[in-house]
Amino acid sequence: MSDLLELPWTEARGQVSPREYVDACLRAIANRNESLNAFLHVNGGAGEGVLPIALKDNIVTTDMPSTCGSRILGDFQSPFDATAAARLRARGASFVGKTNMDEFAMGSSNEHSAFGPARNPWDVSRVPGGSSGGSAAAVAARMVPVALGSETGGSVRQPAALCGVVGLKPTYGRISRSGLVAFASSLDQIGIVTKTVRDCAEVLGIVAGYDPMDSTSSTVTVDDYTADLEAGLKGLRFGIVREALALLEGEVRANFDEAVAVLRGSGAVIEEVSIPTIGYAIAVYYIVANAEASANLSRFDGIRYGHRSERASTLEEVYDDSRGEGFGAEVKRRIMLGTFALSSGYYDAYYGRAQRVRAKLRHEIAEAFRGVDFLITPTTPEPAFPIGAKAEDPLSMYLSDIFTAPANLVGIPAIAVPSGFSKAGLPLSLQIMAPHFEELPLFRAAAGYERETIHWRKLPPGLH
Amino acid sequence: MDIDRDEARRIAQLAHLEFDDAGLDRMASEMTKILSYIDQLREVDADAFEEHDVTVTPFRDDEPRPSISREDVARNAPAWRDGLFVVPKVIGGE
Repeated sequence: MSDLLELPWTEARGQVSPREYVDACLRAIANRNESLNAFLHVNGGAGEGVLPIALKDNIVTTDMPSTCGSRILGDFQSPFDATAAARLRARGASFVGKTNMDEFAMGSSNEHSAFGPARNPWDVSRVPGGSSGGSAAAVAARMVPVALGSETGGSVRQPAALCGVVGLKPTYGRISRSGLVAFASSLDQIGIVTKTVRDCAEVLGIVAGYDPMDSTSSTVTVDDYTADLEAGLKGLRFGIVREALALLEGEVRANFDEAVAVLRGSGAVIEEVSIPTIGYAIAVYYIVANAEASANLSRFDGIRYGHRSERASTLEEVYDDSRGEGFGAEVKRRIMLGTFALSSGYYDAYYGRAQRVRAKLRHEIAEAFRGVDFLITPTTPEPAFPIGAKAEDPLSMYLSDIFTAPANLVGIPAIAVPSGFSKAGLPLSLQIMAPHFEELPLFRAAAGYERETIHWRKLPPGLH
Repeated sequence: MDIDRDEARRIAQLAHLEFDDAGLDRMASEMTKILSYIDQLREVDADAFEEHDVTVTPFRDDEPRPSISREDVARNAPAWRDGLFVVPKVIGGE
């Protein structure tokens, strides 16, 4: 039965009953979660399903708690399903569990989870990435075929890269955010983690589309995203971002060069493009995301739901103490930075300036897409790092998202596809970005590259 | 941009977060370091661009529709009585 979980969802589902499929996942979770800590809740009573799926713990459902990796939510249980979850249920999905994450999706390593970090299946002394590290680890370790995560600055693609699986951030507005606990509303988007590009394309077709509960969700037609998976790479134009290239070194550079050679060898056209402002994306991101977070997280007040301080005796103390006790260090740091950037006297110098630089980046990326169909970079500047390596240096942790954050700031879709392994056996990843709502060609490009390489068949050690 | 303990305290009050002095000092030094990185944005000439140039989020029609039930709200409330949230007295105290 473990062979079944090694197959992509779209191959396995025809070979097994919905009951057996879910039970196989529950057994795999029981065997592997103790060492990986990928799941915060396991739904032992999960019903049969043609798609056993794990949800990041900031996507709410009625049948499990939603902690967002935080103590401040206590035993919160949502009275409604997130729209993406409801659409999956309607198509026969079964929710087998909720996955570990950096608290409120703020982090790139899972070390900011209030419930201990998830671990990387390729090397349990290393991080799985974040913030959707539990979702990426769960798919990489073949505990579930598919998991949903969420993206604000790379939180699906970066852990997918570090765990050797496929990770998609769709166009902003492609998937309803209703029921995704808000972090930074102009950046947030639900993402998908799978073993293969085909699985990812098919799941997007289920969850994408307009939702009256999210006024930022788009009415643009949902394509059959599997339609062009076999169309190949011939004639597709890929732009290498020159400024990103300058930041690469060592194995990551060599691996990226190999990926480019594969694309070229398959008939793709490779060009160099310039996006001068891309190096400022992290600085922009940490102002915009934190400003929005400081507003969104004001809802955690100790009154309506979640943790309430027992020592508070005035209303002010209910707010201050409940939040002081309930939030972890990174969340407080980000709320503080965001509050500062929006505060009187600093707003224009920080938030206003960051938004103007964001607009410039959007303009430059639109210009780059005049000449090419896709932009490519490595997904991450380095493979998975050891747990603790960046724990004392928030800034170096933030730079893990240097290649992924631009897509969130601009709202375009981007996908991480496994591109090989480092000498130490750690996964490496290629990122492909496309213009707004161009997921159909994005999947074509990703599938074309995947077919030439097929890294997804390799299993993490210990799973043979 | 340097953040000192007093500035950190001012921001913490705005953000409704409780810190002790050691916590404020640590936060001040971390914020100073992060803001010094963010200050590189001053190098970018973005004067030709607007703060808000994205499409405005459309409004939905303002039509009545069912909300979640009181029972569902009560289930997650830390303090609840007679169909209401309970908070410390804010009027006529002292």
